[in-house]
Amino acid sequence: MASIQLSGLTKFYGKRRGVEDVSLEVGDQEFLTVFGPAGAGKTTTLNLIAGIVTPDRGSIRIGDKTVDALEPADRNVAMVFESYALYPQFTVYQNMAFPLRSPKHRLPATEVEQRVRHFATMLKIDHLLDRQIQALSNGQRQRTALGRALVRRPDVFLMDEPLSHLDAKLRHSMRAELKEMRSQLGTTTIYVTHDYLEAMSLGDRVAVINQGRILQVGTPEEVYFRPATVEVAQLFGDPEINLIEAKIRSRQSTSVRVQALGEDWSFPITPEIGSALDKLPGDNVQLGFRPADVMVGVNGNSSLHGVVYSFEPLGTKSVLTIDSVAGQRVRALVDGHRTFQVDRRIEFSVPSASLIFFDPESTRYLVRSTRTEGDD
Amino acid sequence: MAELTLKTLTKVYTQAQSPAVDQLNLAVRDGEFIALLGPSGCGKSTTLRMVAGLESVTSGEIRIGNKLVNDLHPKDRGVGLAFENYALYPPLKVRDNLAFNLRAHGLGAKEINRRVDEIARTLQIQELLDLKPAALSSGQKQRVNMARAMVRRPSVLLLDEPLSHLDARLRVELRTEIKRLHAEQRFTTIIVTHDQLEAMALADRIAVMNEGVLEQFDTPLEVFNHPANEFVAGFLGEPPMNIFRTVVADAGRLVIPDTDFALPTTPAVKKLIGSRKELKLGIRPWGIRVSQTQTDGSVPGVIVVVEDLGDETRVGVRYSEVLIMSSIPVTRRYRPGLPVFLNFNEEDLNLFDPTTGERLSDGSDGSSQPAHETVGKNEIQAPVTR
Repeated sequence: MASIQLSGLTKFYGKRRGVEDVSLEVGDQEFLTVFGPAGAGKTTTLNLIAGIVTPDRGSIRIGDKTVDALEPADRNVAMVFESYALYPQFTVYQNMAFPLRSPKHRLPATEVEQRVRHFATMLKIDHLLDRQIQALSNGQRQRTALGRALVRRPDVFLMDEPLSHLDAKLRHSMRAELKEMRSQLGTTTIYVTHDYLEAMSLGDRVAVINQGRILQVGTPEEVYFRPATVEVAQLFGDPEINLIEAKIRSRQSTSVRVQALGEDWSFPITPEIGSALDKLPGDNVQLGFRPADVMVGVNGNSSLHGVVYSFEPLGTKSVLTIDSVAGQRVRALVDGHRTFQVDRRIEFSVPSASLIFFDPESTRYLVRSTRTEGDD
Repeated sequence: MAELTLKTLTKVYTQAQSPAVDQLNLAVRDGEFIALLGPSGCGKSTTLRMVAGLESVTSGEIRIGNKLVNDLHPKDRGVGLAFENYALYPPLKVRDNLAFNLRAHGLGAKEINRRVDEIARTLQIQELLDLKPAALSSGQKQRVNMARAMVRRPSVLLLDEPLSHLDARLRVELRTEIKRLHAEQRFTTIIVTHDQLEAMALADRIAVMNEGVLEQFDTPLEVFNHPANEFVAGFLGEPPMNIFRTVVADAGRLVIPDTDFALPTTPAVKKLIGSRKELKLGIRPWGIRVSQTQTDGSVPGVIVVVEDLGDETRVGVRYSEVLIMSSIPVTRRYRPGLPVFLNFNEEDLNLFDPTTGERLSDGSDGSSQPAHETVGKNEIQAPVTR
C-alpha cells in the first residue's frame, strides 16, 4: 500500500519529447487511469515509475520514500503489459508462482501455493493451474499475467494496456470483471489505456495526457462533463463531441441569443454561465455538445434546421449526420428504432444543459450548466 | 451497375483443411450495399478475392449481371477494387493514379480527364490531384484509393477493410462519407469487414460468415434483433449480448442453478422451449431494466459493478459464474452492493438451443432451423423483399 507522487518528471528521447513536467499525485489504494492517444507519453510515464527509464529531470516518491535512486526490482512495483510476457513452457501455476521464487521475494512453498490459489480463484483460473500457456485463450493468458503481478502483493500496480490485445467482446467483459475485482485488491494502481471507456470505467480519477503533457486530471465525470480543453472533450466519446462557433447576439440575465450553425437561436443560461460569458473579451464563444444530447425532431419545439446527410444504424443506436443551415455537420446519436431518409429536411435542438462553453481563443473550458450527469 | 449472384461458391486450398468458403449462396441486388462480416479466417476476404478474380474458384458460380465470370480475367469483370492497404503508385500524382486504369483501357485523354475530375469532386479530393501519394494523410490516401476503384464505373465495387487502417476519428468520418456516396451513386457494393459497427452502419444487408459458412444474411436490424444463432448474437453488438446457460425448471422458469436467477416465462416462450431441459438465454444490455422495486417477473440480484461512461451507465449483477451487464440511461443511483431487480422484456429475449446454438423458433422443437431463415419468436417481422 502506498501513495505515489510524481514531481516535474521530464524525459526526452533525443529531441522527441517523451513526457514533460508531469506532476501527479495518486492516493493510497487509488486506481488512476492514464489516458491518451498513441504516442502521448503514457507508457513513458509508467516506465519512469517502474524505473525502467531514467528521467532527465523530476522525482518520484512511492509511499514515504524517494525511489529515484532505486533499481526497478527494489521499488516493489509490479507491471502488467499488453503482451502478456508469460513463460510459454511453464504451466499457469508455474508462471504465477515465478515471482515468489526469485531470490528477492522468495517465500516458503506453502505460502506460495496459498497465494497462487487465492489469486487464481479471484481471477477464475483456478481450474487452469496445470494448463500450459499455449493451451490458453487470450483472455485466460491475460488473467494469468494479472495473477502473476498480483501474487507479489506489490505496493503499486502498473498496468500498460492489459486489455487492448483482446477482442472487443472480451474486452468489455474483462473490463467489468477487473472493475469488480478492484475492491478486493486495494492496491494503488496506475492503468494506462488509449480506450476512453476503459479510462472512465476503471479510474477513480483519469489523467488525460497528450504529446507528453498532462491536460487534465479529474474524476470520470469531470473529464467527460467538464473537459479542461476542447482537445480533452474530443478524446472522450464516440462519435466525437460536436464543436461549433457561436456569436453572441444579445444577452439577458437568464437567457442568451446566439448565431450559430447559420441560425439565430436562444437558450436559457444560469448565473454562472452569465458571468463566464461576461469575462469573454469578444462576442464569440465555442460550444460543445455530445451527439447523444442532440434532440431530433421531437414535439416541434426544435429550434434548428438541417438536412439529413447520412444515416448509419448501429443496432441500439444510430448515428445521424445533419447538414446544418450553415453547412457545418452535426452528429446526433438517436434511438435505434428510428429511421431517417437521406436528404430529408429535419428539425433538431440542443438542450442548454448539455452545452459546454469554451474560450474560442485559448480553447479552454469556461463553464457549463450545473444541471447535468443525470442527478436524480 | 449490376446484380451479383454467388451460387454454391466454394474454395478449398488443400484437401486436408476444411473449405475456406463452403457452398456460399448470395444474391446481391443491383445497387445494393452488402457487408461480408466475420472474424479473421471466416472466408470473407477469400470470397471477395474470388469475385474480383484474384483467387481461383474451386466450385460454384459467380455471376455479374447475367454473365458467368468464373474464368474471366480480373480486368474484364467490371469490378472496382479498393484494399485496406492503398497500393497507390508512389511516383505518380494522384491524377495519374486515378487515370492509370482508364488509360490501360484505351480511353481518350479528354474522357479520362472528365471522369477523373468528376470522381475527384465526388470524393472531395480535387485539391489533392497534383500531389504524390507520399504527401497524403492516411485518410486522404484511402479516399484516393476508393476514387481509383470507382473511376472505372465498375459494375460491382469491392471494398476490403477500407477503414481498418485509419484512426477512430477518420474511420467514423469516412464511414459517413461512404454511406453518403452510396446513397447518391447506388453502386452495387460489397465491403469486407470484421467491424460489426461498420457493417451495421453501411450495409443494406449483412452476410455474417464463420469458418467459411454463411451464418445469416439479412438487414442490419434483423441480424441485430433476431440473430439466427448464438454465433451471430455474440458477434454483433457492443457491449456484447449477455449469453448464458439456463436450466428449465418447474413451470417453465429459466434458472441459473444455485442462484437467485429464476425468470418466469409466458406460454409463447414455453411453447418455444418445448421439451428442452436446458437452453442458452441471450439478452442485450439495453434490453434489461434495472429497478429497486420488485415487479411481476423481475429477477432479484445484487450489483457487483457499476461503470459510469458519460452517456450511459452500465450495471453488472452476478449470478455465480454469470455476470449480467445492463446498459441504462445515466444515473448515480446504483452502487456495488445494492440489491436490485432486473426486468427483461420478452421481445428482447433470444433463446438458443444449447447444443446447436440455433435460435429457437416456432415449430422447431429441438430441430435446428436453416441458418438463412431468421424467424423471430414474436411473429411480427419487418417485411424483407427479396
